Amino acid sequence: MLKIAEFSLSLSRMKEENSNKIIKLIKSGDQLVLKKIYDDNREAFIKFSRKYNIESYDAIDIYQDAIIVFYENIVNGKITDLSSKISTYLFAIGKYKIFQMHKRSYKIELRSELLVEEENISLDVNFQDEKLTNQQELLKKYYSRLGKRCKEILKLFYYEGYTLDEITDILTYSDKKVLKSQKSRCMKQLKDWIKKEL
Amino acid sequence: MNKIDLIDKYFSNSLSPKEQLKFNELLENDEQFKKEFDFQKDLQQVISRDQRKDLKEVLQNFEKDRKPSVNLFNNSKEWLVAASIIIIVGLGFLFVKSNFYPSSEKLFAQNYEPYRNIVLPIERGENSNTIEHSAFVAYENGNYHKAINLFNSVPNKNEQYIQFYKSMCYMSLNKTKEAIALLKTIADSNNKVNPENNFAEIANWYLALSYLNTGETDKASKRFSMIANNRGNVYKKEESKKILNYLD
Repeated sequence: MLKIAEFSLSLSRMKEENSNKIIKLIKSGDQLVLKKIYDDNREAFIKFSRKYNIESYDAIDIYQDAIIVFYENIVNGKITDLSSKISTYLFAIGKYKIFQMHKRSYKIELRSELLVEEENISLDVNFQDEKLTNQQELLKKYYSRLGKRCKEILKLFYYEGYTLDEITDILTYSDKKVLKSQKSRCMKQLKDWIKKEL
Repeated sequence: MNKIDLIDKYFSNSLSPKEQLKFNELLENDEQFKKEFDFQKDLQQVISRDQRKDLKEVLQNFEKDRKPSVNLFNNSKEWLVAASIIIIVGLGFLFVKSNFYPSSEKLFAQNYEPYRNIVLPIERGENSNTIEHSAFVAYENGNYHKAINLFNSVPNKNEQYIQFYKSMCYMSLNKTKEAIALLKTIADSNNKVNPENNFAEIANWYLALSYLNTGETDKASKRFSMIANNRGNVYKKEESKKILNYLD
């Protein structure tokens, strides 16, 4: 069991065993851990982004996005153990974002600080910058109208990348078939609503 | 394998190389298939944005929690001077206060640790198929969402210890309100029927901590004094006394 007090030591120096626990906790949606990570790396990140002439106001925004990217890499299983320090991930993601912002085509090695086995982590996700297509706008509108159960299933499947077998387990369905037909009812509902609109 | 299964496998990243070929081929030649796939891909986009927006809000709240924002900037110079004096004095005060009196949030973080599983020790390699067993496995692994779902499905879900461990899950997920509701019932129950399995005193400690976390320090103090002054109780007595010193 994880002692929250242990966090005050330094996340970075935690042993592998603990890093697995941290990953599990982040995956399970534990906000205390996320807050601890946020607070622990914030100053260093702001200092780091000053090297690239980023004001602290912007740096905080970039930092938050970097945490989101880091979180998503953990949730969808691209980071399975913390072989580098958490700050290393955050810096690599942040650097990518900063270069994108400056719209410079740097050909330098962005991933140089990360270990070889971590090369498949995503440094980037699409944030709100891109405009939604009409179809996506409709989906957005009607997704928000779905019931709690549907949203939960779709979120676990499409965002967190769980397999149907895992979701059957997580949401304690009696078997996968029941979940599958529930999921297809949710999808049908969405499609019906959109059809009506068109 | 039918087409829907192929799309499912795409989203859970588990297409075999052979299936991937089939998938690519369908995407190119089967209009219906492509339409369905695009629909799901769009849905994925929409859900991801929705989730990111939520997470961003959570992070922005972390930022707000860091420092009470002082927004006294004004165009007049005197204002700035006055404001900076206030800020300097205020910061000095905050500094002194935070050094000698840790915030209730800090007290919470220093003292909170999910209660260990004493009910159903999980042995490695032990094979038990009850829901309760799975629930405690999930609990010990920190899968609190899953544990809550499982605790809700055990046949004896209203028993005190089940309710107690469910409340631990809520606390760990920072769903303090839900935790408080459960803990209150347990802490105030006078369960003398089964003293070995009585969680009232332990629940009281966690209830007090939860109040610290929500900032309801009056209620927290009341609970900590109950623990510190209860003669029959030894659990967390010293810790409660210590925390009371900070709260008064």
